[in-house]
Amino acid sequence: MRIFDSHIHMTSRTTDDYEAMYAAGVRAIVEPAFWLGQPRTSVGSFTDYFDSLIGWERFRAAQFGIRHHCTIALNPKEANDPRCREVLDVLPRYLAKDGVVAVGEVGYDSMTPEEDEVFSRQLAMAVEYELPALVHTPHRDKLAGTKRTLDVVKESGIDPGRVLVDHLNEPTVGVVHESGSWMGFSIYPDTKMDEQRMVAILQQYGTERMIVNSAADWGRSDPLKTYKTGLAMLDAGFTDADVDKVLWQNPVEFYGQSDRLVLDELPGFAASSETFAGNSVLRGGGNT
Amino acid sequence: MNAFALGYGTNGFANHRLHDALAVIADLGYTGVALTLDHAHLDPYSPTLGREVDRVRTRLGELGLRHLVIETGARYLLDPARKHSPTLLSDDPGPRVDFLDRALLIAADLGADCVSFWSGVPDRGLPDERAWTRLREGVATIVEHADRRGVRLGMEPEPGHLVRHVEQVLSLRDELGCPPALGVTLDVGHCVAVEPTDAAACVRRAGPLLFNVQLDDMLPGVHEHLEFGEGRLDLAGTLSALTSIGYQGLAAVELPRHSHAAPVVARRALAALRSALPAGIPARPVAGRHPWLDNAARRVRERPSVIGALFPAVGRKVGRAAVDPGGDPEGLVGGTVDDRARGVLLAALAETLGPADLSAELTALYRYGDDAERRGVLRGLTALVDAAPEVVEAGRDLVKDALRTNDIRLVAAAMGPFASRHLDRHSWRHGVLKCLFVGVPLAAVADLEATVDEELVRMIGDYAAERRAAGRDVPAGTLELLGKV
Repeated sequence: MRIFDSHIHMTSRTTDDYEAMYAAGVRAIVEPAFWLGQPRTSVGSFTDYFDSLIGWERFRAAQFGIRHHCTIALNPKEANDPRCREVLDVLPRYLAKDGVVAVGEVGYDSMTPEEDEVFSRQLAMAVEYELPALVHTPHRDKLAGTKRTLDVVKESGIDPGRVLVDHLNEPTVGVVHESGSWMGFSIYPDTKMDEQRMVAILQQYGTERMIVNSAADWGRSDPLKTYKTGLAMLDAGFTDADVDKVLWQNPVEFYGQSDRLVLDELPGFAASSETFAGNSVLRGGGNT
Repeated sequence: MNAFALGYGTNGFANHRLHDALAVIADLGYTGVALTLDHAHLDPYSPTLGREVDRVRTRLGELGLRHLVIETGARYLLDPARKHSPTLLSDDPGPRVDFLDRALLIAADLGADCVSFWSGVPDRGLPDERAWTRLREGVATIVEHADRRGVRLGMEPEPGHLVRHVEQVLSLRDELGCPPALGVTLDVGHCVAVEPTDAAACVRRAGPLLFNVQLDDMLPGVHEHLEFGEGRLDLAGTLSALTSIGYQGLAAVELPRHSHAAPVVARRALAALRSALPAGIPARPVAGRHPWLDNAARRVRERPSVIGALFPAVGRKVGRAAVDPGGDPEGLVGGTVDDRARGVLLAALAETLGPADLSAELTALYRYGDDAERRGVLRGLTALVDAAPEVVEAGRDLVKDALRTNDIRLVAAAMGPFASRHLDRHSWRHGVLKCLFVGVPLAAVADLEATVDEELVRMIGDYAAERRAAGRDVPAGTLELLGKV
């Protein structure tokens, strides 16, 4: 099983996670810029964070055989703090960087007027910098938030095929499916989605434009949820090809629209040197 | 990663002096050459051949053309009246055998991968069995010569010749008792024209017996060498097959009818090859010679501020492979293709800006750069070793910043000639020690041998003792260094 985790916050994870992810088949990831738990109070702490996403974290991932990419944006929660909104002025510099494969996470948290403004400005940047957009849907009032998200996407003029609407669930998948945007699902230990419900959604809607991620971060989460969803799909009768489509081809196709994905194997991690990487025993399923 | 070399055939530069052709080929970025011996190109019958071979050897070395194959398909070298004549199938094959032996001698002197040859077209009226017998005898003779000269032979199936398919070369080889010196030269265009399977399948069929590859496009059934994209060759699939069988020899473009526009055609061919290569296969990075880079450097000279926009795009435009993927896969010692290209842009910047503006721009490129851009700035400092004091001051701050990180590629890039010249001794010694700690090979440290001092030896001695006390290995290079001073 080869896995592209389309949404994972590795800054908050350990090297054990990287090792376990590689062993499970994760070869590439996207780390969206997001809230760090502790609210930030100045632009400087954002730029240091962004620098780490295009520098240190990429290097760290490479040590474990994983290609790291990121998305850059002012997240909706901090869009409400006027001290942080100046971040919008430094975004263009980052949107030009290698490895920045989308504008994101953008979207709504509490659906305030400030979030409205910041969301549409950043969608305009996605159009200007020819990048796809990764859109977060709110935890609270999710269906209304998702519908409003789709309206804003439509108004922005961005091609819906260049938008990934993330953190979907049973009530919200339908409207996004109709919109033509890509559908992202974050599989969590006890919130958002779980593997079995994900399989049921795939059975109902098929595998087109469907993307599964772990969204693992500093909270209770599991970076192997992509892999476990793959196993659940196989148990439910999906084929290896279906699993590959959802866990690899779809995210590659979506983020590939940036023309900035780098997916060739890292030195020392070529397929022929799997035992050198020391992981052949850990790999379950035997279908890598 | 082991990889084959891209080259160009001199028969596609028939209107150039040989030494000029070699320079053009190398300047474009090829790392090898298929040299067709001919009247004007290292004539094997010249009375001053020995001296000319020496000059060619020197020239190849100067130009970095490390892979060489000797080709023997000259049209009128042996007989001015009859193309390609005589051959191994002629009534008197003597001149052909003598010519091939001369080619073997030249190949041995130049360290060529192999000598490439073909069977020839049987004279009208010569029965096939008779032709095959002559071929077998002729090839047996030159295989003996090849063994004596220590040179390999690549036999090329050629449309219209007695041997036109890969299978025939392999059969002949079997009949001769599988001599190790005899292998296959494969023209991938010929596969499109006359082989029953595609070029990738022919590559895999030849496998370890593939000694030499010629690259060109063709249309089915038509033996006409075309530029890539004009025929039906699956170039990417063919190159990928070469990679998959672990081919490490020369793959040289073979466009003998394009000499009239050779430099332009050769440039187009390399661009097509680079874009068709599987990711990670190095097309040799040649600073300042990639078309995008040429243009970018010119734009920087015209308007220096554009470097801020060009710098992040370099990897996407020119590639990111290590300069020496086999020996230095992470580019810690020799850097990467994009490092080199960024160095070219910085050199253009340094030509254009005064010290104050140059210092500010260097600092900004580093401060707002991602990991690759920062590496590019650090390696680019090599060209600024003798810059004005204020530029040196700015560069020194960047080197110190990089040495505070734990990104081994930044640490390695920081320890170049600029650091050995301009960093204070204390910081420089700690930089060397940091290389040992984080796993940067000491080969990445410029001027180490010349600059090592007693204090560094003491620090390294303590480090080695600490490693041993913990029951750990001492990194390679450390002990050699301890022997200094």
